Amino acid sequence: MDIIWLFVMLVVMLVLGMPVAIALAGSSAIFIIVNGSPPPMVVAHRMINGVDSFPLLAVPFFILAGNLMNTAGITERIFNFALALVGWMRGGLGHVNVGASVIFAGMSGAAVADAGGLGAIEIKAMRDAKYDVKFAVGITAASSTIGPIIPPSLPMVIYGVVAGASIGQLFVAGFIPGMLMAVSLMIMIAIMARRKGFGRDQPFYWSVLWSTFQRAFLSLMTPVIIVGGILSGAFTPTEAAVAACAWALFLGLIVYRTLTLPRFLRVSFDTIETTAVVLIVVGAAAIFAWILTSNRVPEQFAAGLLTISDRPWVLLLLINLILLVVGCFMETVAAITIMVPVLLPIAITLGIDPVHFGVIMVLNLMLGLLTPPVGMVLYVLARVAKIPFEQCVVGTAPFLIPLVIVLLLVTFIPGITMWLPTLIYR
Amino acid sequence: MNGQELSEDNPTALIKLEEEKIDLSDQRWDDAVVLILFWGLAFIVFLQFFTRYVLNDSIAWTEEIARFLLIGVTFIGSIMATRKQSHIAVEFVYRWIPRPGRRLAQTVIDVLTTAFFIMLAVFSAQIAGRTGQMMVSLDIPKSTIYWIVAATFVCMALYSAWNTWRHLRSGTSKLIDPELHADQIRAID
Repeated sequence: MDIIWLFVMLVVMLVLGMPVAIALAGSSAIFIIVNGSPPPMVVAHRMINGVDSFPLLAVPFFILAGNLMNTAGITERIFNFALALVGWMRGGLGHVNVGASVIFAGMSGAAVADAGGLGAIEIKAMRDAKYDVKFAVGITAASSTIGPIIPPSLPMVIYGVVAGASIGQLFVAGFIPGMLMAVSLMIMIAIMARRKGFGRDQPFYWSVLWSTFQRAFLSLMTPVIIVGGILSGAFTPTEAAVAACAWALFLGLIVYRTLTLPRFLRVSFDTIETTAVVLIVVGAAAIFAWILTSNRVPEQFAAGLLTISDRPWVLLLLINLILLVVGCFMETVAAITIMVPVLLPIAITLGIDPVHFGVIMVLNLMLGLLTPPVGMVLYVLARVAKIPFEQCVVGTAPFLIPLVIVLLLVTFIPGITMWLPTLIYR
Repeated sequence: MNGQELSEDNPTALIKLEEEKIDLSDQRWDDAVVLILFWGLAFIVFLQFFTRYVLNDSIAWTEEIARFLLIGVTFIGSIMATRKQSHIAVEFVYRWIPRPGRRLAQTVIDVLTTAFFIMLAVFSAQIAGRTGQMMVSLDIPKSTIYWIVAATFVCMALYSAWNTWRHLRSGTSKLIDPELHADQIRAID
């Protein structure tokens, strides 16, 4: 059987709506059985060993940390602090939205966690202040994608495991690009606020800033522990995840006392389910990737791309385009596990560091979360804000401009991503 | 906000969300197995963290048992996900094809998925039968892991068959009528 049939089977099964993990394992198994070698039980072996990895232990704990933060009333404190900090600016709540997302990004590794938890507060506040709901949803959606760029980050953990890159370096590399995203979004808000004549949402008081800071202080320690721990090299990503969970449990059980038994069970089961559905895809992708490499697919694909052009910047644009399209149709984890084995070898031939490529890839896939037809963040916000999906798309569209500009900067200026990791890890 | 103005004298008139009702109706008693495994894993990893930082000497067996438990949480958790039909899937095509087509597609993937689960159960059992090694730091044969995974695939196949039958009988499912089934927020991406 020619390798192309593997892709045909996979695409047909995916389009029919089969679970991604089963489509990956199933199409791989059929391919191996038809070709007669190796023994098909290798499918199960690779799949189980694909999960048997120490770095993947970070996955359940970052998910748990994010879920705990959202239930422990931490999001509210952070929002109110951000409100006191930047609420006085023109289009204030838009800036508050971005600021709160940046802080939340330092403790959660998933954009959807940001949109579903913090997003609910942000949209309620902007609605109460008579902002256009589409604008509110748009900026909430766009700012939530900062979450997986600033450490910690689930997609980066998955990328690191699949690509064999250092997760610690990936985390550090995302810090400056994440800040750039925040700045670019705030510039966009300022422009829109001037054009639409938004007012200031509230005056600035040192006393309010101080009191909200005090109330948020223990919550604000979470990103300090995680990001500080990772940037200083004191924590490995898994340790940072565990520390974050321990801290969130301490806040939820002892300090704020918001973590009741039903809530604790809900958070646990959600975390287990998310962990399981993510890791089984990672396992199934291991067998798929193994078939691709042993059939020299990446080399052939690279050769094909090189016939289009041999200028690195054209190829980079092309890779970005491929990732953007894939991101529009696929969830992040599935896209990473399928695309890394195909695209990473080309990126390395072009002289791109795997860490730099990881940030490019995750950034692309984050934009995919904001576009139809499979924009997970938009679906979540459509439900949170109770408006039609289409309106979410329209509201988010303007904010794609600054994010695409950041994507291009990150793609073509390696220093933005690589400066910090080389400084810290040398 | 909330009708109250924020001011110098009233700095705490800030935004608050209403309490959300916690719904646990989609969980069942047998989910307790994976719950215990998960918190066992959390405890082990914390223990490792603690011993490395505080006692400056990590316990050797923690890493292996942690990976072992992670495999358990992944595959036993997948049984739960299969029951709830919450595995990651590409679902958007269903928005554009007419209802009879959706029903047909649902049946096709239900049957194929069940068949693949059975196949994976067989492969896992084969691997288990071929594995003679012991685990590095624990006195447990490595085949235990593969047997457990084989058993989880059998359970997934059973739930998948059960779902197939329910979809056929009721003529509806999450994919066929997405508007009737509120999807959950999952913090993956």
